[in-house]
Amino acid sequence: MTKSEAAGEFIATWRGPAYGCFSSGHKFCREVCPVMQVTRNENHTPTAFHANVVAMSQGDLSVEDVADDYTYCTLCGACELRCPNTLFTGDFYRNRTQTVKLVKEMRALAVRSGLDQAAWQRWVELTIEQRNEPVLESGVSQAHVRDWAAGLNLPTGGETILFVDCEAAYYRTSVPRAAALILAAAGVSFGLMREQWCCGGPAAEMGYLEQSRFLADHNLRDWRETGARRIITLDPHDYITFTEDYPAYFGAGYDFEIIHITELVADLIEAGRLALTHPIARTATYHDPCRLNKRKGIHESPRAILRAVPGLTFKDVDHVTQWSYCSGAGGGFAIVHPDIAGEISRRRVARAAELGVDLLVSACVWSERPMAARGREDNLRVEVRDLMEIVAESAGLDFGGVRP
Amino acid sequence: MSAVALSDPVIEELRAILGDDKVLLSKPARYNRTRVPAPFPVHRWREFVPDLAVLPERTDQVAEVVKLANAHHIPVVARAGGTGLADGAVPLRGGIIVDVKLMDRILEIDLEDRTVTVQPGVNMLKLNEELKGHGVIYPDDPASFPCSLVGGRIGTSGWSLIGGRFGHTRDLVISMEVVLPTGDVARVGDGGGRKIRKSSTGFQLKHLFMGHQGTLGIATEATLELVPRPEAEFSAFFGYPSFQAAWRSAGAIARSGLATLAGVVLFDERKIEYLRRDDEAYIPQPPEMRAVVATAMYGTIDEVRPAAKRLLRVGRETGGTYLGDEVSQGDWASRHDRYATPLHGRTPQGQVVPMCWHCEDAAINYSALPRVMEEWHTIVAGYVERYGIFDDWGMFCYTNGAHKPWADYLVEIDIGIWEERLNTETWDAWVRCKRDIAAASLRHNGSITACHGATREGDVELVPVELGPGFEVMQRIKRALDPNNIMNPGKYLLDQAYEDQGGDQ
Repeated sequence: MTKSEAAGEFIATWRGPAYGCFSSGHKFCREVCPVMQVTRNENHTPTAFHANVVAMSQGDLSVEDVADDYTYCTLCGACELRCPNTLFTGDFYRNRTQTVKLVKEMRALAVRSGLDQAAWQRWVELTIEQRNEPVLESGVSQAHVRDWAAGLNLPTGGETILFVDCEAAYYRTSVPRAAALILAAAGVSFGLMREQWCCGGPAAEMGYLEQSRFLADHNLRDWRETGARRIITLDPHDYITFTEDYPAYFGAGYDFEIIHITELVADLIEAGRLALTHPIARTATYHDPCRLNKRKGIHESPRAILRAVPGLTFKDVDHVTQWSYCSGAGGGFAIVHPDIAGEISRRRVARAAELGVDLLVSACVWSERPMAARGREDNLRVEVRDLMEIVAESAGLDFGGVRP
Repeated sequence: MSAVALSDPVIEELRAILGDDKVLLSKPARYNRTRVPAPFPVHRWREFVPDLAVLPERTDQVAEVVKLANAHHIPVVARAGGTGLADGAVPLRGGIIVDVKLMDRILEIDLEDRTVTVQPGVNMLKLNEELKGHGVIYPDDPASFPCSLVGGRIGTSGWSLIGGRFGHTRDLVISMEVVLPTGDVARVGDGGGRKIRKSSTGFQLKHLFMGHQGTLGIATEATLELVPRPEAEFSAFFGYPSFQAAWRSAGAIARSGLATLAGVVLFDERKIEYLRRDDEAYIPQPPEMRAVVATAMYGTIDEVRPAAKRLLRVGRETGGTYLGDEVSQGDWASRHDRYATPLHGRTPQGQVVPMCWHCEDAAINYSALPRVMEEWHTIVAGYVERYGIFDDWGMFCYTNGAHKPWADYLVEIDIGIWEERLNTETWDAWVRCKRDIAAASLRHNGSITACHGATREGDVELVPVELGPGFEVMQRIKRALDPNNIMNPGKYLLDQAYEDQGGDQ
């Protein structure tokens, strides 16, 4: 397919949905968008992302004109939820607004058109080279992908696989260690992959579909060859990749059960299989990871877990209010726009500080690095922890690991 | 694209004023600052594209930009949320878009003298999130509450769904700072005190700078009213067998004298038919309910509890059937989301098609509502039948007077337009349809617009008819304040003020 054929196909696919937004044009999405809250630049609105397609369809704009604008999105999905079209015509007319998908496909079209973002291109190249995302400046490699599990004696393969994403495996190893000990304590048997590569989701989010597929093919092969039936994810981003991208790649034969750890752990606590006995005498609030809350509707299980932690004073902020919150870490955004991403993180942590808490608990390891950095700033002073770390501590498990 | 091709030296000067990254020249930056949600001739999009957009952060930057534009006779169009339903933010002659969204700071919350001072890029929902902890609200509550910005509310002189209790934008803005077309900065209010609500010093300039659609200046700061956070909200919806019955009952409720009454909304029979037909979120009601009256009250518990009883009694005694708590609370709570129900309409053959929304917003006295309703539906029916791309989605009538909700109404007819099928012929037909509707409003001693503004084709030709000699006064003021016609030129027929000059039209 030539570049112009690719653009034509894109326009043919997206003109109808784009016109659905264009014709209403009300922009409820603007004020919940985490990027827009910082840049206030109308180019970065979901409205513009859709209107551009209408303008492209009548020859007023080209992919070259608009490609850069589509980097200003964390793919958090808030706009889709806030869209009146989703609310009022989503089901009956199947007109649910799909900004995330539109942005991903525009980014893919940009890559096909030779309009690479240098930082994304490099990130994906390194990911392919090293098989994992380059989350450490010192480099990552398959030789060290299981270092986080040192001393835990975890088996390889089996029906249930614990998939540990790149950030957790190399950067914040306390999270997978906590998760592994929690599962073991509750009697859940699981193994690790023989060779765990990046899930491929980030490459797809940046528009590099072939590379995403290359990584996904490997992981699927590894699962098949070790008899996996059920995949437990720690990272909400993986959860999205395995429940949205992989089914699209692999079709009807893709029959794995994909579970996010917060759902599983909430069940284990509820069923009495995991006792939280050690009080955590802190005042905490919970950060709804965008991909769990906004894109997957998972917001009850983490709250149920926090309410089960003895000694913890939990100051909750409603999950709908949190539609407009974001850590800034998703969708490759921080790689191309680190300053804006940093400001998004700062604002999120400042929201927590306003509540008078000393602890911000997240369930997304990617959100924890930027938010923890902001939380260490003098005027905020909020510690950022992962939900699994808190659970493990309350269960009296000595998980160790690196917690930068 | 534009009458003025901006030269490089002007662009360099703008960059010096604002910083490089706040001067936007890209095509999408310009295309996306062209349109508002009102029906748009999408086939002529490129005619409305500005030369560039700037994102100022401070008043002095806006003033410098305007001075520069004035010196070079470059059109300037202010843009806040870009959610208006007239075309105030649509540039007609290219030029510079002054996009105030980045001016989104809350400058001061004064709980003693009950004001909040903000920049014009602040949104009311976000502002109220910040005010929540202080026990106060800023009660400017348009349907576009989640997306419109204070600057646009001033530029259009907005209307609030709860204005019967709390007033509309003009009642809620105490004073404001305005960058005039020459780049001078003035504070206007009632007299000179920034937080004074009523004064007799000098002319009442605040009203002059409300609803001018960007033709007289750019509001860069506003001091707004703070109202005690209501302890209680009560909403009640009533059903009726006919529009006439609903109209009589709405009038009785609006005249009841209940001070907590924030608004009364009348849904006509076409509106109910439309909601039944095409709004999946509409809560079903018995078929004999053919018209609806919605009401809402706000205040302290001690006020609202007895007032609610009285309201229910008046509603029932005047023939209304209370539609239950689910409809009353649920539908009122979704009043903002309802703003965008029309994503789709139907052709005369019943085919569902994507349609954009026109919302007519005349101000009409209570006594004339039944006749205006009939005339408007008749006008629209003619265009629906002839062109096949329009759809009549029925009417709402909302009480319109601030604190005195009894005698005039914002009257809305919602019309779906299949924008994708617009061409020169159908756009002209649409403009004629609008003009016919506006003319009917004037025949009944109404006003073309209660809150959007009458700048668009179809409306604007009738502005001199509505205002009479007052329109001549408007022109003199425009020319006195904007000697070079740089502020949103082409709007409100104000080019006529410069006809003897020969240029700048």
